[in-house]
Amino acid sequence: MLVVTDLVTEFSSVKALDGITFKAKAGLITTVIGANGAGKSTLLRTISGLEKPTSGSVKWFDHELTGKSVEAIVRGGIAQVPEGHAVISQLSVAENIELGGLFRKRSHKGDLVRAKREVFELFPILFERRDQQAGSLSGGERQMLAISRALVSRPKLLLLDEPSLGLAPLIAAQIINIINELCRSTGLTVLLVEQNANTALAVADHGILLSLGKVVANLPADELIADSSLRAAYLGY
Amino acid sequence: MTSFLTAFFSGTAQGAIYALVSLGLVLVWRGAGVVNFAQMGQAMFTTYIASQLIQHDYSYWSAFVVALFSGAVLGALVDLGLMRPLTSRKNLKSLNSESMRTAIPVIASLGILGILKSLAGIFWAGEERGFPSPIEPTAIKIGSTNLAITGFDLFVIGVVFLALGLTTIFFTRTGVGLAMRASALNPEVTRLSGIKVGSVRTLGWAISGTVSSLAGLLVTPRTNLSPNTLDLLLIIGFTAAVVGGLTSLAGSVLGGFILGYVISFVSVYSAPENVFIAILIFLLLALFLRPQGILGSKEVRRV
Amino acid sequence: MSKSISLKHKVIGRRSTLLAILLFLFFIALSKQFDPYNQAQLANIATLLIAVLSITLLTGASGQISLGQGAIMAVGGYASALLVTRLGYSMWLSFILAIFVSALFGLFLGLAAARLSGPYLAGTTLVMALAIPSIAVRFEPFFGGDVGINVDYGNPPRWLTSFVGKISIEEWSLYVVLPFTALALFAVLNLSNTRAGRTWRAVRDNEVSAALAGINIGRTKVIVFVCASGLAGLAGALYGFRGLVGPSVYPTDLSLTLLTAAVIGGLRSIGGAIFGTFTVVFLPDLIERITSTFEVPGAIANYLPGLAIGTLLLLTVILNPSGAAGLNERIHHRIKKTISKSGGH
Repeated sequence: MLVVTDLVTEFSSVKALDGITFKAKAGLITTVIGANGAGKSTLLRTISGLEKPTSGSVKWFDHELTGKSVEAIVRGGIAQVPEGHAVISQLSVAENIELGGLFRKRSHKGDLVRAKREVFELFPILFERRDQQAGSLSGGERQMLAISRALVSRPKLLLLDEPSLGLAPLIAAQIINIINELCRSTGLTVLLVEQNANTALAVADHGILLSLGKVVANLPADELIADSSLRAAYLGY
Repeated sequence: MTSFLTAFFSGTAQGAIYALVSLGLVLVWRGAGVVNFAQMGQAMFTTYIASQLIQHDYSYWSAFVVALFSGAVLGALVDLGLMRPLTSRKNLKSLNSESMRTAIPVIASLGILGILKSLAGIFWAGEERGFPSPIEPTAIKIGSTNLAITGFDLFVIGVVFLALGLTTIFFTRTGVGLAMRASALNPEVTRLSGIKVGSVRTLGWAISGTVSSLAGLLVTPRTNLSPNTLDLLLIIGFTAAVVGGLTSLAGSVLGGFILGYVISFVSVYSAPENVFIAILIFLLLALFLRPQGILGSKEVRRV
Repeated sequence: MSKSISLKHKVIGRRSTLLAILLFLFFIALSKQFDPYNQAQLANIATLLIAVLSITLLTGASGQISLGQGAIMAVGGYASALLVTRLGYSMWLSFILAIFVSALFGLFLGLAAARLSGPYLAGTTLVMALAIPSIAVRFEPFFGGDVGINVDYGNPPRWLTSFVGKISIEEWSLYVVLPFTALALFAVLNLSNTRAGRTWRAVRDNEVSAALAGINIGRTKVIVFVCASGLAGLAGALYGFRGLVGPSVYPTDLSLTLLTAAVIGGLRSIGGAIFGTFTVVFLPDLIERITSTFEVPGAIANYLPGLAIGTLLLLTVILNPSGAAGLNERIHHRIKKTISKSGGH
């Protein structure tokens, strides 16, 4: 279980996160929604260690994550798929996937081969294009590659930053569905940041609504969908 | 025809050494965003170490290995002791300016260069001395005709190609090589893949130190050794790196060989005094015509 | 609003005039205390200060690094020497023309390298510095080869000696250089407060946001480099007129010494440039005095100035990247803060 308590992250004394507290249950999908600038990306980046919080704590079961390096957090089973289909476009598809599992190459050689085979089964198109440069892929394929890179590290918690951003609705839905299936079949915990609240809440178990760095709602996903006044106030529809 | 062959062979042998220097510069530039102007100062220092060992009756090859190893150590030390604290420290934030932040490491590398040169002068009296080669630089003969290439040239070309081959295998076939390429291209995604980008960067400095140390060992039998001997090599190596494209490892090697041929053909067909002017003109032409270099990629800036 | 700005400008203009005159008087007063050798050193400082100011302008105001400012000095030096010896121009006119020649040269070099980001300018200028001797040799009939071209300030004119009394030749050289130093100081001080100066700082601090504000980055960088080249060329012309313009007068080390002076003083500060220039000129003398008292062997003593300057350079970037002047600035800032707090605005 991921427990975030009173998390504050500042950028030159502007509070991007202003005392965030919530829990994300293991094996479920928790989605963080909110308008642009609400602090969603900063929240994910603080959990994965890319940003250093001013105060507060992030716990994954018994392990305190704040103060740890990004690498240590990743090695502890928490993988982030950053915003904007972050793959290394000058490397090939296979190399990008290889990169994700590189730190386990010595210790879990056999499992790494299995993990690679699994992501290729999950996204067959990537297997077809394994020798192409990642830069030559379409937006959807690049997002699949970014997710694959994270998955070969065998994460227990997957942090997804706006996976549907800039994708055609059909492809976005396909990717969200794959995430959903993955969570249900393997017990992966997912923290999904989305601006597109409807797509995210449709698959999520729990929803957290952020506004200006604060949690304004923390409800089961179906209740959040039903609450039209919240949506009107914070999401504008 | 003989003068053409002379120019060609000596160009290949010189170019091989320039390729090493240029490769060393590009390795650090890609990994850390710093042009290390102290690079050949480090190489000068390790060549002196080798020279001292040989003077104390150690074999050439043991001195050779020690020099390469100390090149790696020196490179890693420069990164760990100076560059990493300089580029990561909060104090740089007080400079509050991106171009000053890139200027500071360059200035630091000049400081190291000055210190290494003075130390070498103080320790080893600073007079020019010879440096041995394992193979006599006499022309190879077929029958009774002298070829335009010496045994030492062949040795240099052989060693450099071996080194380049090993580097290529390292970068394309090993996991650490992949991690190095990845962290040069995109440090954030690489860190998110659980790779310690800082250590990878230090390794880059170490490899660069080794490669340039090798260049020092291979060039000094011809040029002799003094605290200032290798300055020239740095300049040529830098030009080679710019010509080949600062961002491309293959380009840096290509640039090295091109510079080798330019210098060798100018000194054979024109005069050795014109070499510098040729380098300058060549560099300016390269900057005007193809600023990103032959194999370099255009810098993409996200606004 | 606009009135207060123009008023501020006038105040600044007056302040920089005052500073330039003060510097001028300070050097003259100092020279009266010195023997001829140190008077010559003082003239060197006044000359090199112009070149260091050019680096302060270049690096401090736009973040570019030149490792070959000495080469640009050489361009100015050769230009004025040739104008005087070949075409019979007066010394003073040749100094002014040297500014234009080296600025033109800077334009050419800048179009190739300064508009590019990154290390291109640093490397290209370094290559330039190394190529100077071979260019001088290659065109020997014109540039005088390894030896160079002999020139000198001549003797002090009669109107001056009748006015200030008999002066040494070293003092005369100081009198020749000082007006230019004061002018250069005045120009650089005022430039940083103009629209152009603000544009340059914007480019230095953040190229992306400067570009978004409609500033042409490449052009701005070239303009800064051209201005800095003009200043360096003037310094080179003055430097050559100590007696010789040749490759030995403008060695590669000169470029590095200039950069060191600018860095240890603080790349952004003009006071720092003055401090740094004094340091790099007098430090070798100081070390020599110490080594001769302790009877350090010559082979070691030769390398001590280099070691000291290298160490100083490193210490500056490690301990205080904004240089000696930055320290001063920080203290000022703190005092101001305290005052404004207690003042309770």
